[in-house]
Amino acid sequence: MAIEQQSQFLENIPPFDSLSVSVLQEVASHLDVVYFPVGSAIEVNRQENAYLYFIIKGRVAEYREQELIAHYGVRGYFGEQGLLGTDNAEGMREFKVLEESILYRLPAEVFSRLLDSQPVFKQHFLSSIVEKLDALHQSMQLMTSTEVMMDTVCSAPIHPLVMLDGCVTLQKAVERMVEIQSDACVVELKGESYDYGIVTSTDIMKIIASGDFNENAILKDFANGPLVTVHEFDYLFNALLKMTKFKIDRLVVRSDDGLIGFLLQKDLMGLFANQSGLALIKIDQAENVEDFRRVAEQIDDLIVNLQRKGIKTHYIAKLVNELHRKLMEKLLTLYLLESICNKVSLLVMGSEGRSEQVLRTDQDNAILFEELSEDEQSKLTEASEQFSRALIDIGFPACKGGIMVSNPMWRRSVIEFSDQLKEWFDRPTEESFMYISILYDAQIVFGDETMLDRLREVLFKRLRDNPVFLRHFAKTALQFDTPIGFFGGLRSDKRGGQARIDLKKSGIFPIVHGVRCYAIEAGLKQANTHWRIKALMDSGVLDQDFGIELGETLNYFHGLRLDAMLQQKMQGRPDDELDNYIDLQTLSHLQQDLLKQAFTVVDEFKRKLQKRFRLHEVM
Amino acid sequence: MLSIWRDWRRKCQANKLKDPDYKFLFSEPQDDNVYVCFDCETTGLNPKKDKIVSLSAIKIKGNQVLTSGALNLLIQQEGLISPESIAVHRIRNVDLQDGEIEVLTEREAIGRFLHFIQGYPLVGYYLEFDVAMVNGAISDWLGVRLPNRMIEVSELYYQQRLKEVSQSIAQPNIDLKFDSILKRLDVPNLGQHDAFSDALMTSLIFLKLQQPR
Repeated sequence: MAIEQQSQFLENIPPFDSLSVSVLQEVASHLDVVYFPVGSAIEVNRQENAYLYFIIKGRVAEYREQELIAHYGVRGYFGEQGLLGTDNAEGMREFKVLEESILYRLPAEVFSRLLDSQPVFKQHFLSSIVEKLDALHQSMQLMTSTEVMMDTVCSAPIHPLVMLDGCVTLQKAVERMVEIQSDACVVELKGESYDYGIVTSTDIMKIIASGDFNENAILKDFANGPLVTVHEFDYLFNALLKMTKFKIDRLVVRSDDGLIGFLLQKDLMGLFANQSGLALIKIDQAENVEDFRRVAEQIDDLIVNLQRKGIKTHYIAKLVNELHRKLMEKLLTLYLLESICNKVSLLVMGSEGRSEQVLRTDQDNAILFEELSEDEQSKLTEASEQFSRALIDIGFPACKGGIMVSNPMWRRSVIEFSDQLKEWFDRPTEESFMYISILYDAQIVFGDETMLDRLREVLFKRLRDNPVFLRHFAKTALQFDTPIGFFGGLRSDKRGGQARIDLKKSGIFPIVHGVRCYAIEAGLKQANTHWRIKALMDSGVLDQDFGIELGETLNYFHGLRLDAMLQQKMQGRPDDELDNYIDLQTLSHLQQDLLKQAFTVVDEFKRKLQKRFRLHEVM
Repeated sequence: MLSIWRDWRRKCQANKLKDPDYKFLFSEPQDDNVYVCFDCETTGLNPKKDKIVSLSAIKIKGNQVLTSGALNLLIQQEGLISPESIAVHRIRNVDLQDGEIEVLTEREAIGRFLHFIQGYPLVGYYLEFDVAMVNGAISDWLGVRLPNRMIEVSELYYQQRLKEVSQSIAQPNIDLKFDSILKRLDVPNLGQHDAFSDALMTSLIFLKLQQPR
């Protein structure tokens, strides 16, 4: 009975949660309880005081040479550095009791025995930030192992593959499909523009209806390509995204050795049940602003759910942005005649373009077109104004800088836009830097991709002609200091007794903008920072290890910020007033530890930027 | 003056001790910074008739509650535990029969308890009852009652609260319920009432009341 409480306490603290029950109970039996009144000091460095401490109740601060390094709250633990010998001896650590504290204390020899006998446990204390983050996500995911989103494709029902040669007759194909009970077949198209195509029962019905069906008709004349496939080990939600993006209800599943079967949307919907799948369908069915508003609320619920389940934030962002884009596309068609719709492209820019906005904090969008008659233009103006207003009603707060389709500046022909772009280059101000950043992050929601491609070409050409521009552009990534003190502690902005840090300024912005500079220099088309990093790694601009570390660091910042914003939202703050601050005291020991390491990565990245773009010369 | 009186009583008691092996109960404690907090769960509330079912004792040394060296004992029963008591401490009759946990005879258990407490002062909440229960078990066997110094945490708490409220004109109304003391002193409530948890919480109350205010 006695040990039960202690082991239950440990069970909730990573990495102790990875220990088996019997090991945990053995550890628990060595715990003593100690009490410290407020203001007292806990000595952990002395030989006879070698313990690992866990906080049952109270608050403890760690100092090094008078500098505050960390806060520990309930379930936090400290003293492990001394025991691990990872303490670089300069500067004594001091632990001060901020609020009278009751602690558990584990003798050093029990801890070191544990390290020796439990390699996974030991790994936690020695691993790099990437490994720690993965462990954190894994442990969160384990808690809700039923999460379908993150299951792999091969865990869903996969229907048998019917693979036929392109020269087989339609008649034969139908017989084969009936025999296997499949409503589609993959067609091998040797020597055609694609290797494979697909013919579905719907296609066959259309063929019959059109009267083209005869006994000599062969498959390859009717096959559609290219095939949209998904790897068997890919996440199910990626499969769903692909279906949404290509507007198809079936994917061909591939393994490393070739094609293996079909994955059907209806099966996926069954699995996702109440979640994102439903939101997708509802977007398709929505007919007015009220419908869309409800869908948007459901997307928010989905975010909370996914975040709670420990899904990495960039996956959530990807999913949510795809849903938001789908919503905008559908919404614009409510207001704009189809004939005009076909002539314009809708862009999302900034964080939405990068697929990094999770909660709707503002809208950055634009409309591009080649040429419109005066009448068409006035209809577009009207529709754009309605569209922006509707988005606000649905819950996308207005952009404070007016970067919305309702603003004529962001509703132009490709030519006008190119001229504007050149002007921004010729007159570099803070504002034009911002516009260029926002535009470079743009992605097409619907419409002709090449319109945006041409704008990007203008951008890249201007940069090549004016290389100094990029150096000035890049230095804005360094404008905010990284909040890390000399001894590696977090420096926070203290307001109203809260120790807080602006995650966007100090962590997210330097990474996003720095990567943007590298990407723009390399002429990348990708907008998402993770994809940009991947492309930069592939081309050798960023080295492999650092690239991964940078991506994971960005993910961690985004995750923390999302947590904080959801918290604010729960307290009833409206969407357009959410801020980017994180309260340090709400973070666990592990989270603070990770945050420190994350800022170290930011600092390293800033040094790389400085070197690459020779920023010391322009500062 | 008080200590002389106590020493004299101690001597009288020591002379009555039937078993010289337990003389250590009357010796001076080796470390005057050590206290033993203990609590027992019983078959009922009458010390004359009821028996101890489980007993936990924890040493307190300075600011440390030495839970890793705690004594946790279960005792065999001849009669049945009253349903009311089962509801409080959740030790059922069947729990004392199953072979997984070591269950001792009363003599064996109390013997271990006495070796654990030595001559250290005892700390408890309504300690009088727990001590009476132990005395019931040793009076025939050893011919003595527990000679240890006794510290009643509710009394310490009362004194402290009295000092705090003495300035006010109104008659102090001090709530001495265990849960109220926990709350007032901000000691975590471990939720369940077994001998170990109660002894641990009582130890923490004791430690907190040692702090100068």
